[in-house]
Amino acid sequence: MKDIREDIAWAKINQDVMKSLENPRPLYWVILFFAVLTFGIGIGCEVYQYQMGMGVANLDNPHVWGLYIATFIFWIGMSHSGTLLSAILHLMHADWRKPIYRFAEAMTTFSLMTAGLFVMVHLGRLWQFYYAVPYPNERWVWPNFQSPLLWDAMAIFTYLSSSVLFLFVGMIPDLAIARDNMHSGWRKKLYTLLALGWEGTDRQWRNFRVTYLTIACFLIPLAVSVHSIVASDFGMSQQPGWHVTSFPPYFVAGALYSGCAAIITLFIILRYVFKFEDYMTLPILKKIVRLTFAIAMVWTYLNCVEFASVWYSHDAVSKDLLIQKMTGPYAPFWWAMIFCGSIVPLVFAIKRFQTNIPVLFATSLLLNLGMWLERWMIVSPTFSHGYYPWTWDHDQWPSMIQWGIVFGSFGWFTLLFMVFCKMFPSVSMYEVKEMVYHRTLHLKNNGTAVEQTVEQGVH
Amino acid sequence: MIDSEFDRRDFLKVLGWGGAAVALSGCGNTSIEDGKETVVSYVQAKDYVIPGVAVYFNSTCAQCDAGCSITGKIREGRVLKLEGNPESPINRGKLCGLGQASVQHHYNPDRVREPLLRKGDKGETISWEKAYGLINEKLAGVKGDEIAFLTGEMSGHQKVLLGNYMDSLGSGNHFVYEAVAPAVVRAANLKAYGVEMPRYRIDKAKVMLSFGADFLGTWVSPVHFAQQYAAFRKGVDGQRGVLIQAESKMTLTGANADRWLAVRPGTEGILALGIINALGIATGDVAELVKDYDKARVSRDTGVEPSHIDKIAAILRLRSPSLVLAGSAAEGYVHGMQNAEAINLLNHVLGNVGKTIEAPVSVPFPQLAPSKGSTASLKKLNDDLASGKYKVLFSIATNPVFTAPASYKFGDNMAKAGFKVAFAHYLDETALQADLVLPLDSEMEDWGTHVPEYLADAAQINIQQPLMERLHANTRGMGDILLALVKQRKPEEYKAFDDYYGFLRFAMLQNKNALGGAEKDDDNFWNDTLSNGIVKLSPASGALSAKADVGGIKLPAPKEADKQYPLRLIASVTSNLRDGRHTNQPWIQESPDPLTTIVWDSWVEIHPKKAAELGVVEGDIVKVTSRTGSISAQVYLFPGIHPEAVSIPIGRGHEAMGRYAKGYGVNPFSIMDAVFERETGELAMHETNVNIAKTGQRVIVVKDEGPVGGKQMGRRVAVSRSTDQVDLSKEV
Amino acid sequence: MSVTNLLDNWAAVRHFHPIDDKPHDPYKWAMAIDLDACIGCNACAVACYAENNLPVVGREKFQHGQVMHWMRIERYWNEDDREFPDQGAEFMPMMCQQCEAAPCETVCPVGATNHTQDGLNSQIYNRCIGSRYCSANCPYKVRYFNWYDYPTTDNVWPAEMNYQLNPDVTVRGKGVMEKCTFCVQRLRAAEVTAKGEGRIVREGEVQTACQQSCPTNAISFGNLVDPESRVHKQWKAQQVDLAKDEQEKDKQEGGSDLRGYRIFEDLRAYPSVMYLERVRESAV
Repeated sequence: MKDIREDIAWAKINQDVMKSLENPRPLYWVILFFAVLTFGIGIGCEVYQYQMGMGVANLDNPHVWGLYIATFIFWIGMSHSGTLLSAILHLMHADWRKPIYRFAEAMTTFSLMTAGLFVMVHLGRLWQFYYAVPYPNERWVWPNFQSPLLWDAMAIFTYLSSSVLFLFVGMIPDLAIARDNMHSGWRKKLYTLLALGWEGTDRQWRNFRVTYLTIACFLIPLAVSVHSIVASDFGMSQQPGWHVTSFPPYFVAGALYSGCAAIITLFIILRYVFKFEDYMTLPILKKIVRLTFAIAMVWTYLNCVEFASVWYSHDAVSKDLLIQKMTGPYAPFWWAMIFCGSIVPLVFAIKRFQTNIPVLFATSLLLNLGMWLERWMIVSPTFSHGYYPWTWDHDQWPSMIQWGIVFGSFGWFTLLFMVFCKMFPSVSMYEVKEMVYHRTLHLKNNGTAVEQTVEQGVH
Repeated sequence: MIDSEFDRRDFLKVLGWGGAAVALSGCGNTSIEDGKETVVSYVQAKDYVIPGVAVYFNSTCAQCDAGCSITGKIREGRVLKLEGNPESPINRGKLCGLGQASVQHHYNPDRVREPLLRKGDKGETISWEKAYGLINEKLAGVKGDEIAFLTGEMSGHQKVLLGNYMDSLGSGNHFVYEAVAPAVVRAANLKAYGVEMPRYRIDKAKVMLSFGADFLGTWVSPVHFAQQYAAFRKGVDGQRGVLIQAESKMTLTGANADRWLAVRPGTEGILALGIINALGIATGDVAELVKDYDKARVSRDTGVEPSHIDKIAAILRLRSPSLVLAGSAAEGYVHGMQNAEAINLLNHVLGNVGKTIEAPVSVPFPQLAPSKGSTASLKKLNDDLASGKYKVLFSIATNPVFTAPASYKFGDNMAKAGFKVAFAHYLDETALQADLVLPLDSEMEDWGTHVPEYLADAAQINIQQPLMERLHANTRGMGDILLALVKQRKPEEYKAFDDYYGFLRFAMLQNKNALGGAEKDDDNFWNDTLSNGIVKLSPASGALSAKADVGGIKLPAPKEADKQYPLRLIASVTSNLRDGRHTNQPWIQESPDPLTTIVWDSWVEIHPKKAAELGVVEGDIVKVTSRTGSISAQVYLFPGIHPEAVSIPIGRGHEAMGRYAKGYGVNPFSIMDAVFERETGELAMHETNVNIAKTGQRVIVVKDEGPVGGKQMGRRVAVSRSTDQVDLSKEV
Repeated sequence: MSVTNLLDNWAAVRHFHPIDDKPHDPYKWAMAIDLDACIGCNACAVACYAENNLPVVGREKFQHGQVMHWMRIERYWNEDDREFPDQGAEFMPMMCQQCEAAPCETVCPVGATNHTQDGLNSQIYNRCIGSRYCSANCPYKVRYFNWYDYPTTDNVWPAEMNYQLNPDVTVRGKGVMEKCTFCVQRLRAAEVTAKGEGRIVREGEVQTACQQSCPTNAISFGNLVDPESRVHKQWKAQQVDLAKDEQEKDKQEGGSDLRGYRIFEDLRAYPSVMYLERVRESAV
């Protein structure tokens, strides 16, 4: 089976993708409705929390962080696979990424935007968040550059802006197609505006490629550093369970892992909802599944490294915490994390499941759950079982408000993502054409293919 | 154009100026313009108001009867914080948490603010003139013998004035009631030392053996004793004082002991005789008395290991002087007096009398000395009320409906008195039963003099003076009320006094010479007195009669366990709550109990071993049933209690008294059996037997301690070492 | 707002580390708490409520762990399996240890918690945005977050009760972190008075609220660099050095016969509170 049908006509590609902007399957509207609903609930919870104070989340002293920070890391982590697919695989000339990188990159952008929300939601004085920004002020007060939280804010901002840029730049040729094919109306105007006058000239293509490559190169170290910095939030602290040297690579691996799992989920949804069966093909899915499996094993290995280094470290407090995670009140969640994160991906090793959509869908959801639990298990047990035994906590269960905001974030993400896919081509038309072209190049060399060149434009 | 006030406010709100809008709403009528408030001009402020600068006034703490002197910090006419007055020999500048919290008594939002007359189930606001008239009217034609006065411990000129009023009515029925008072110990002391309350010199002792005297937490004068204790720990001649505490339920003092002994409830006296026996230095009568109390028997009876008895006897022999105290845990039994006598005997045997037990000092004005509270007096009042003896009852700042055992049916008996007047700060359980409730000033608004029962180094009269203006316009000081009432009877004699302040000043100035003001003119003397907050006097001499009297000491064998009610209920007195009169002070409610760290609720302390036997765990709601009744409360597993006993603290379980007290916890008085000490007639608070049944409910115990229950889990947090590993002489 | 300014300020802010070359001058506020004298009576904790406008959160919020006691008295039991705690309990007054190299300070994104020149770990309520990172990184868990807006919460400071509030201390609104300040309002007043008179604050001139109320004088507080102060003498006699993460006396074979120690010294936070171990008589 091939990654993509080689006989697919370019006009059909345009037609199929443009159709996704017009009439998706009814399931689209169902998903959108639930997204709006959950987001609405999340907004309601946040408004209440803003009014009343953070106490309604059922956080306490010393358990000052909870699901907000855990879910924040989850969303940050999720963003990494978009970059992996769009930038890293781009540099590595992995052709199969082409039909799917667009939505992956969108996922990156939107999950970063969701993560950014949690930074806000988490603040006790949300209305003063700008104190963390190094803006010019007459008192010469700077934020604290020693704080990993500040690094975090900066890294996320940089990553988000770069990702948006990358997504946008990569979309310009397709926006031009949309502009040219869209019936007149506000959308046509929008595409006209966003396409920045793209005509597909030789010069434009050359500049485009250089720019795209440059941003990709820039984005890769950024992606790695962002999650390393999120890891520093914990690694730089002095708390047991957090003060772990291997946290940055561990976090990056976890990020790629959860991102890949999310890509599988969204792949399956988009493929159905927007009738992308011709582009998001099973062989491509199989490749992602294999990649995910590899990352899952890396993550499992890094987990073992962490546990072993804690176990043999003579750091009694950290070891105590590890035992507590395995046996204490968090044990069910901790073991669920191990199960979902290390055992469930073994399904991917079985060949016939690698293209079985229902199995993959269920599995990918479990992997996501596992990775979300992982973040929770990093954040919370340290508070409940830190250095100081007197303050060990017994009442740490998050309130409905906290859960509401966490679920609301999923609604917000889905909403953004679904609206994006309906508004913009979520399969890259020009790159799919390129892919087909590359695939048919050998045929052409054999003298059987129709003469066609990219340089003539993509219309 | 902005047409109306409303529009402008809305306009500002739209701009997000919520706070400014509230301020600007003053563009209409303010409460000052309405005449509801008055403006205090800082241009012509009173002497004691310096804007932005705190001024300090000395007064006396009224939270308990220890009589600590306080210094109030006052700013812009508001009292903010109380500190101890360093000039007082009683508390030397220190103040306990309870004393700190008395500002919350003063500012309590639930204080009674107007005189209230009962109309059916409701209270109708009336004027003071009408209230006084009503009292006069109700007293008409009532014989003196049919009038009763119920107060707490009282001293100073207020006591004098009350006495005068009672004389004018021809009533001699003054019942002085304190739910928690060392009344049995007083009686035993009188027998052993010739005085009710000698001066204990903890600071001079090298070893202390305390039988349930919680002198650091609740007993007699805790702040004073705690200071002595600090000196005792530092040691005489570099040798650190050793504290041994024997009791059935660990008190705060027990928690600080070098050796804490869990004795079977009621066997404190047996242990004392056993130690005398083990000392082997007694002769004559005493030797005869203790000869049967050999180690094996004592150990069997009390549950204290023989090796501990040996060690205690050894250290008592070796280090002298020592000090032995009998406290509330020893006195709360039918044979409480014998317990206390046996314990006091130890002091005689060890030769402590005259060394660490000194003659008390007293004020040379017997009429100012405190009338001491007891529970026997309430019993007497209750019996009288039940027989319908009294037509008019005055209750002055006491709450017997809350603290009397339920079996007294005090509330019902009180109803038999025709007219009941309660002078109260709050609508507490007793005030709610009254026909007329008269609101009192807080101790920070009122004048007064106090003479504490336990005086430290010197005789002293404590001055109480207002620390700020009256908070509520219609409250009155108890002294003013008494003066008004006595004026009804003897207008001629008291016409010279406009108010209680005038009376007090006159009374003090009359004795100026005796009060050490011979060389000062009246104003100087009076100003100095107020400024110091204390009048120190040369004490009247007292003496101890040091005779070891063994007559009457006859200790019963420990009680066999009751089959139906196998556990002993210890209604414990905690340092935060005492008898429950402070429960509505939120700092007290939220101040964790020192031993269990529980807040805002009652609990049942059970030894972990017993709990395992009963199959209960922490947080189980259990029903505690005595012969009198039952209450349900949460279980707390507490290692510092004898397995045959359970303990519930008193002070919570209010059904009235305002938002901070009502509905929190349970009241163990409601299941306390009416059993009395044989010789003194005091309520035997530890003689109630109970059983415990699970209700099936479970709650999370609200406490400060974490889920590991005060274990350090190998972390080096609170560290302890024994005396042989430390060289205290190197310390500064 | 220039980079030079940033770098300069930075050096100033982060200079006062105990192992740095610059000594504390003229003040270094520090404490010594004698656990053998502490009786666990809670007077200090209530005094702290009175002095520092701490809100009473009520039963429900206490249950949720949202209590605001800057000073808490911990009560520990001996951990061996005795039937009774026959050597009593161990009481431990715990409040902000005012660490010299405070873990909370470095992590605050906005620099709301800082080290002052006189050795305090200060909390600037106005600057705090409520990220709670400081509490997350505090080994002692002595920082308390305003989970609710206590000034407007029912029955926290209802009418009249609010008259008690200390005007020298800010009433904190929701969303800011707070903690023991060593009664900084009293220290500043004393420092300013002394400065006006051209001298430094004398021993005994300033007391913290907890120290002032303590009936057994278990808490001593003062200027650690003033050789006349009781705190200085105690630290010296106990051979506890502020700038060490392991004391010389503890390196001796068989340990030391002195009882001064600091909690979690090995974490290198250099706390400013020295505790003196509780003592129990070996003869009984």
